[in-house]
Amino acid sequence: MSREAYQVPSLGAGQGSFGTGAVEGTAAGDGPSVTYLCGDCSSRVALKRGDQIRCKECGHRVLYKERTKRMVQFEAR
Amino acid sequence: MAPAPTDTSWSVEFNTLRRQKLFRHPPKDRSPYPALAAALQPHINSFNALFENTKILEEGLKDIGTKTFLDGENESVGQGPTPPKRNRLNLRIKELFLEKAILPPTNKFNTRNRNIYPAECRERHATYRGKLRARLEYRVNNGAWKESVRELGQVPLMVRANRCHLENATPEQLVDHKEEAEELGGYFIVNGNEKLIRLLVIAKRNYPMAIVRSSFVKRGNLYTKYGIQIRSVRPDQTSQTNVLHYLKDGNVTFRFSWRKNEYLIPLVMILKALVETNDREIFEGIVGSSSSKGIENTFVTDRVELLLRTYKAYNLHAMAETKVHLGERFRAVLGVPADMSDEDAGTEFLRKIVLPHLGNQNVTEAQDHDKFKMMVFMARKLYALVAGDCAPDNPDAISNQEVLLGGFLYGMIIKERLEEWLRSFGPITRDWCQKNNGVKFTDSSFDKDFIPKVVKRTNENIGGALEYFLSTGNLVSPSGLDLQQASGYTIVAEKLNFYRFISHFRMIHRGGFFAQLKTTTVRKLLPESWGFLCPVHTPDGTPCGLLNHLAHKCLIATRNIDVSHLPQTLVQLGLRSYSSVALDENVTVQLDGRIIGYCSPRQARMIADTLRYWKVEGTHHVPLELEIGYVPNSNGGQYPGIYMFSQAARMYRPVKYLPLDKLDYVGPFEQPFMEIACLQSDVISGLSTHIEYTPTNILSILANMTPFSEHNQSPRNMYQCQMSKQTMGTPGSSIEYRTDNKLYRLQTGQTPIVRPPLYNAYGLDNFPNGTNAVVAIISYTGYDMDDAMIINKSSHERGFGYGTVYKTKLFSLDEKESRRSRSKREISKLIGFAPGGEIRASWRTTLDEDGLPHIGSRVKEGSIIAAWHNVRYDPSTNELINLDSQTHFLRYKDQEEGYVDSVRILGSENGSEPCQAISIKIRIPRKPVIGDKFSSRHGQKGVCSQLWPAVDMPFSESGIQPDLIINPHAFPSRMTIAQMIESMAGKAGALHGHPQDSTPFQFTEEHTAADYFGHQLRKAGYNYHGNEPMYSGITGREFAADIYLGIVHYQRLRHMVNDKFQVRTTGPVNALTGQPVKGRAKGGGIRVGEMERDSLLAHGAAFLLQDRLMNCSDAQRAWICRDCGSFLSTQVAVQAVSSSKIRDTVNRGRLAASAPNSAVAASGIGALSGTNGIMRCRRCAREAVFDDSRVEAWEDGAGKRFVGGDNVTLVAVPGVLKYLDVELAAMGIRMKFWVEH
Repeated sequence: MSREAYQVPSLGAGQGSFGTGAVEGTAAGDGPSVTYLCGDCSSRVALKRGDQIRCKECGHRVLYKERTKRMVQFEAR
Repeated sequence: MAPAPTDTSWSVEFNTLRRQKLFRHPPKDRSPYPALAAALQPHINSFNALFENTKILEEGLKDIGTKTFLDGENESVGQGPTPPKRNRLNLRIKELFLEKAILPPTNKFNTRNRNIYPAECRERHATYRGKLRARLEYRVNNGAWKESVRELGQVPLMVRANRCHLENATPEQLVDHKEEAEELGGYFIVNGNEKLIRLLVIAKRNYPMAIVRSSFVKRGNLYTKYGIQIRSVRPDQTSQTNVLHYLKDGNVTFRFSWRKNEYLIPLVMILKALVETNDREIFEGIVGSSSSKGIENTFVTDRVELLLRTYKAYNLHAMAETKVHLGERFRAVLGVPADMSDEDAGTEFLRKIVLPHLGNQNVTEAQDHDKFKMMVFMARKLYALVAGDCAPDNPDAISNQEVLLGGFLYGMIIKERLEEWLRSFGPITRDWCQKNNGVKFTDSSFDKDFIPKVVKRTNENIGGALEYFLSTGNLVSPSGLDLQQASGYTIVAEKLNFYRFISHFRMIHRGGFFAQLKTTTVRKLLPESWGFLCPVHTPDGTPCGLLNHLAHKCLIATRNIDVSHLPQTLVQLGLRSYSSVALDENVTVQLDGRIIGYCSPRQARMIADTLRYWKVEGTHHVPLELEIGYVPNSNGGQYPGIYMFSQAARMYRPVKYLPLDKLDYVGPFEQPFMEIACLQSDVISGLSTHIEYTPTNILSILANMTPFSEHNQSPRNMYQCQMSKQTMGTPGSSIEYRTDNKLYRLQTGQTPIVRPPLYNAYGLDNFPNGTNAVVAIISYTGYDMDDAMIINKSSHERGFGYGTVYKTKLFSLDEKESRRSRSKREISKLIGFAPGGEIRASWRTTLDEDGLPHIGSRVKEGSIIAAWHNVRYDPSTNELINLDSQTHFLRYKDQEEGYVDSVRILGSENGSEPCQAISIKIRIPRKPVIGDKFSSRHGQKGVCSQLWPAVDMPFSESGIQPDLIINPHAFPSRMTIAQMIESMAGKAGALHGHPQDSTPFQFTEEHTAADYFGHQLRKAGYNYHGNEPMYSGITGREFAADIYLGIVHYQRLRHMVNDKFQVRTTGPVNALTGQPVKGRAKGGGIRVGEMERDSLLAHGAAFLLQDRLMNCSDAQRAWICRDCGSFLSTQVAVQAVSSSKIRDTVNRGRLAASAPNSAVAASGIGALSGTNGIMRCRRCAREAVFDDSRVEAWEDGAGKRFVGGDNVTLVAVPGVLKYLDVELAAMGIRMKFWVEH
């Protein structure tokens, strides 16, 4: 709940895309590239929208989402 | 020098460092827990046996043999002046190949490692399977065999069996492949679920059982309840049951069932078809020679004479004649080719159906003789049963039972599917011939068309059939496989905790058929089960006694042992081949249902004893695993003889052979007639031959874990076995890679202080199941009444019983749930925000820019969990484009709040598809709350009633506060003394810092547990009896009584209020009745039923009743006519607006004038009903005539005008009352209500 109100401190341009930087009405470009972790070789795989799901290194077919770089904060109750 | 192999011996010690090392560095050589792997060897070995050295499936292929189909017309067989020559197409399967799980060739992306490992299948919610291929050979007439290797679909593979990549993997390799270090396998992975074929109890193979069953009488006229049944097992582990029935007149018929139909044949016909024989030979075969004592048994001689006399009516004498007779009748049933002679069909019949265990392929004359001798023996036993010379065998006793192993059943299904596949060529080839204008097989077009046009049309998907079998447990089979049930063969191996998981593999079920049986005889615990089935570990309730568990030392044979030397050895011991019906003269000696010979009863004892000695000694080629069932002569007991069993699917267990002081294996058949002492004190000199290694060998793995279980009342131990399987424990250490729908995990698991050494041998410390708690047995606050327990709030805050539930949800974008690969042009949806569409900031709070939730985001009921949009394939750009810029969402539907633990993006097997499915794991923290269930290890379950502040908890002189308070009233009636002992032992163990051995049966009356642990307590400076003076936390004063305080291992059960609470005031209602729906999942209510209503009535709680039954249910206000008392005739009178504008404007003035009185009434009613109209009763109104005043008249929806019917009123009634009225009206029944005032 409080997380919605929380504003992520800007971390610079490099990781900015992971923040809640998107403002109301922003149009999504065709395919932001997001990196995932390969389930087999743990290498980082960058995928775009509609890409074939497979590790570029080893061809494994299960990819994990990376641990978020967002600030995750909850109200402790 | 190579490092020392991993130590596999375990004691009761904590072994903290050793376990730590094992955990940090999984062994590179072997598992440190061989006992655990041995526990499910039956599953793995039976699967391995299908293809490994014994090659059960190869035997199956031989039994299927060559199928022959003919071209041309059907009618032309053997008739007509010159039947045209028909060509034969021969088909056979020469070989079967089952591959390991590898990527399909369409996947061009992997080059290094093309293996698919089990963990990937779990994560992708896919099936772990490998390609099945068969070498199909065919030829026309007597031409050369041609072959084609056919792909028969993908067959689910057993994990860690010989078609798994992890078959011989070391713990280290297992961990590398995302498995548990102690991954055991033995199950299949189907759609991400772990499925296993459960063990089933079936009749012992190759042993003619004497059965008395009243239902036999129903077979027909003259039939009696007596029968001899033999389950004859072929080398491929399929079976054929043969039964001999006794008829009232002394006759005997042979019954068998084939493809779910039953057939009856006179016994003599079978005998005469088997060998070239005559009546004298049959007579002497059953009765004995004229010089034997058997001839004096007039009961048998009379009946055999009649048997032979009645057979005269058939007028069949020679063997060939009889075979023709049988072949003629059974050729259609057996499906033999049309050009086979009747005699050959008869031979085929004998090969397939009559005692196939004695000869199933290329039956030799000697084998037919064996069958003949066995048939004669069965007849003899039948007559003995009828005469009362022998007792019936109990089919419910384990001595007459064996186990249907999962792998063997799997093989049977594969074999049957293959046979069906070959059979299906018949109609398809005929079809092909007809389509091509009756072309012959010899035609060149056949050779060309056979593979693409004929074979392609058959259903080659055998893998699919097996996947269906595993996922549903339903057996689709034209023959029924000689089994009694059609469903319930597979179960999900739930990994709720490790105890439950391991129990699945040791579970043995009696069969679904017996669950519906009214009688309870099958459920009885029989003394025969000693050492084979655990007497404790069976659930209470419906499956009680049907669902048993194997004793932990019980083994199951999965291969046939080599007994080829045995017949010769036996003959040297003095067997003879002739015999008579007199049992005091000679008894039979059989090996796997084959009669080796006969000997005198005295000789039989000698032979059995000698063989036993040799077997344990390991000499004379008598294998140790051989079961030597010596049934001594008795007065009307079991039919005597020596019955030896060497084949697979038998149970056997280790005991010590006293004469040699060596290990011997005994089976359930021989055990009732053996003298096995349980303890050293039970040994009777000269009588006892064996002794148990330890009395705990009779208990299952779980039952062994109950500490000091011999001190408990027996039902409590049963409850504990049930409850340990419902404990929120540790399913394993590879939780991250598991995708079970629901996974429970205890965060603060501890090793119990009080445990048997077996706890370590089975490596159960890798899967902790509970917490050691300081337990005070005291009635303290009143909150511990009725099995409630009080938890110390500080313990709770330190994490006592803290657990987590993981739920994995699979979100799939394609509705059809099709597993087949799809080309790019078929894809219609994609994960992610629609390109070009707006993205709201609120969406981005849980979702990342790829449209998936970020790890750790909190999800509530209805929160969005993933975004998707529609796409269309654009051939010009070869891309998927989105046209509508609309983003849709997948939502989290559960009530309970959780956190996203992991997000998995699942690709397809061929690696060429965009994301169509994601698997999201949600973590739900579950701290113990009031209402959660806990239990000790003694069937003492209780509900947490309070989290009591630590300051108010009682404390002992040493300042110890209990973690848990339970009420002393929990003990007197339940008599769980072992919990008291555990409490003392735990306390002493904690004080001295050593684990306590809690193996049952170690204490005696002279040397009691209370003394043993009391002594330890005294040494530590505590009260000998485990009591302690305690002080009230509230007043600080010492209690009048000393309190029993100690350490007990407590389990948290998975039944938690958060999954169970059900509350509602308003909510979803049934659309038809307006009453609340039922079911917690739907937000429904709990019914206040008849009895609850009575109770409320009796209390005079009228308002409560009104509230429950009316206001919170389907109360509604309805208009009713006072005059006619009907709900149905009231209707809304509409204002005449639409009729004509002119009239309306004219009327308006007049209406306004007469408004005061009518408007008040109308508005009052309108407010009540919520509609604007005025209510009138149509039934009491009459149609308006011209004379009626416009004020009185009203108009219905159709524009008709009426006068009167205005005596209506509004009443509150249940909605169903109106519904009832409508239903009755539809039947022409009118309900009339009297409405007062």
